[in-house]
Amino acid sequence: MRRFLILLRTEMLAWRHDPISVLGGFIPTLILLTALGLLFGGPLSFNIAVVNHDIGPYGAILRRTCGEVLSPFGTPYYAVSVLDEDRAWEAYRNHRLDGVWVIPADFSARLDAGDHPAVEMHFSNYNDDRAKNHRIYSAEILWRFYEEIGQPAPSLALAEAYPLSEMLEWFPVMAVGVALLSFMLGGMTNMFMLTQKEHVARVTLEFGLAPRSLAWVLLPKTLLALVMGLLTGTGFLGVIALWPGAWPGRFLPAVWLLAGLVILFWAPLALMVGLRARYFAGMIALILTGLTVFFVSGGLGLVRANWDAVPWFPRVFPNLYAVDPLRDLILFHAWPADWRAALVTLTGFAAAGLAVGWGLAARQLRRAG
Amino acid sequence: MRRFLLLLRNEFALFRTAIPAHAVAALQPAVLYLLMTTILVHPTFDMNMARPETVLGAELAAALEQVGSPVGEPYVRLAMVDWDGGTVDRQVIRVEALDGGSLARPVAVQHFGLIDSNLVKNFRNRLTTAALRLWDAELGPRSVTVEQHPWLPHDVPYNVYFGMAVLPMATFLAAAIIGAMLTAQEFEFRTVVEYRLAPATLGLILGGRLVRLALTALLSAGVVWLAVGLVTGVWPRDPWLVVLILLPVAVVAGCVGMTAALLLRRTIPAFLVGLVGAFAGWIVGGAFGLPSSFGATFERVSRLTPFAHAIELLFPRYFGDRSSASAVTIGSPVISALVLLLMAAGMVALTAMVYQRRVRRQE
Repeated sequence: MRRFLILLRTEMLAWRHDPISVLGGFIPTLILLTALGLLFGGPLSFNIAVVNHDIGPYGAILRRTCGEVLSPFGTPYYAVSVLDEDRAWEAYRNHRLDGVWVIPADFSARLDAGDHPAVEMHFSNYNDDRAKNHRIYSAEILWRFYEEIGQPAPSLALAEAYPLSEMLEWFPVMAVGVALLSFMLGGMTNMFMLTQKEHVARVTLEFGLAPRSLAWVLLPKTLLALVMGLLTGTGFLGVIALWPGAWPGRFLPAVWLLAGLVILFWAPLALMVGLRARYFAGMIALILTGLTVFFVSGGLGLVRANWDAVPWFPRVFPNLYAVDPLRDLILFHAWPADWRAALVTLTGFAAAGLAVGWGLAARQLRRAG
Repeated sequence: MRRFLLLLRNEFALFRTAIPAHAVAALQPAVLYLLMTTILVHPTFDMNMARPETVLGAELAAALEQVGSPVGEPYVRLAMVDWDGGTVDRQVIRVEALDGGSLARPVAVQHFGLIDSNLVKNFRNRLTTAALRLWDAELGPRSVTVEQHPWLPHDVPYNVYFGMAVLPMATFLAAAIIGAMLTAQEFEFRTVVEYRLAPATLGLILGGRLVRLALTALLSAGVVWLAVGLVTGVWPRDPWLVVLILLPVAVVAGCVGMTAALLLRRTIPAFLVGLVGAFAGWIVGGAFGLPSSFGATFERVSRLTPFAHAIELLFPRYFGDRSSASAVTIGSPVISALVLLLMAAGMVALTAMVYQRRVRRQE
């Protein structure tokens, strides 16, 4: 035990001389979270102007309806700017408005007369997804407008059924994926940087020559990587508690358990990289590996809802099996239905990672020694 | 000229001291682009519908298949399924009778699995669009037509804008991180002494490094240009103009990297300045959409970066043909070009000043 504590202290001292390793799990994930937040996390209403020339009542109702119909995000599909016609067109031309609706002077008259009333919708389509939204949002507006003005009810009504009582937002779903990446990179960069440093300083040669089991060396290294990974990830959870506002609360120990098993799979692999790669090449390889695993292993969406569409290659990484249970714990504050299966699977992955990583690293150390 | 060429050759030979940084510069933006294309939403969605048993259900299915863009992609790829009312993976639509009543007033119920609000919105909007077609048909001449006036003659995939926006990022990233590493290494390996003692002018030394960084940055942008073209089939008009637009971005970035290294004198912090500068500037400068559409404050901040100006200048090259180039002009091209040139000149002056203090005067 004393030997273990001495080696653990040595690792801690090495980390204290180079605490920058913490940033390896923090900076890339912060950039990623910011990018995803800007892309998907803000208010997603389209800014439009409604130019109402109608001399009857329906134009005003349509204009009001545009700003009233709410999307599942809880915000209106359209934020209607109050602008006169000239300024509206100028703003549209300068891409400060997403669209302009024009209601003609005879709109109400034609609606009353049943004479094919029409409105114009001008919108930008340099991004086909936003153009699609303009088209399908307009249907939501017209549906409500028909109801407002008392059109005869449709033969087919619409309804929805949800599995939960509240809407599950997309950005928090992605944020939990990024948090798992932060746990993973936090552990990996710590393991890599300290090992690489020891390798350059030839300390690994001493390890290889030691007449004791290499487990005495590898255990404290892995333990420190685990703790640093958990600290980095927990710090990142603090960030997502502020934005977008998700925190596991009393489920934090369960989050640590799942994330810890994921770290135990990846950290020994980082150990191997640390014994072989040069500093920059290794760091870059680790971060790119982490990002790739994030993208392919359910970082951006719920895996359970898309299990059939998951290709074979993410299935060989533990992240795929951890990410949805983590979402259950962090977003819903509920035990995952597949908690036991997830634990067994992740323990298997951790054991495999440790066996392969430690085995190959020990072989390399002994050979060098 | 001969001395300059020798210096340039030496600059390129320094490649061997920073191979990983060159690999990142050359490949990372293209890899990022390719990864992002897998997550950038595509307008066509797979939707499930329980096999209809009524005429109205069949009409709804037909209407769903017609939801789409008149100048682009269909929005629904419909799959008919046999659903027993059990657990739903994503969603399924079934025409039902409310409260177990008769099918006299049927309801199209969309049953959702555990999916996020964005997917719910997309599925809901598509079903409403299809159901509205049926309602419009019932209303006949009393239905309201929405006449669509899209800006461009065809909807352009988001991958095109995003790829175009990655071009200045790739340029900036390459010049900034390689400039930072090569310059910081001069201090770490103490080769900076040779520059101090060399009877070469400041302009010659900085010029050699900047030309080398600019060429490397343009090569990195070339990899992205190729990736975007292969993925989307869209290639920019007048490639020489694209090079001219990216050139001042490369000079600004090279100067940022070199200045950071001259001030910090260590590889890792200088590298991080280049990396964070590239990504932060790119995100603020219009990575995901024209900055003007994100609000006045965002637009003002974005204009402090070279990215926003470069993106606005690149836009007509990707989105307009020769006849419609002026119609797709964003902002003021002359002002954007001038700002880029001024930024480049200002950064060169700043770098020269810092170099003078940190290297020549040995501060």
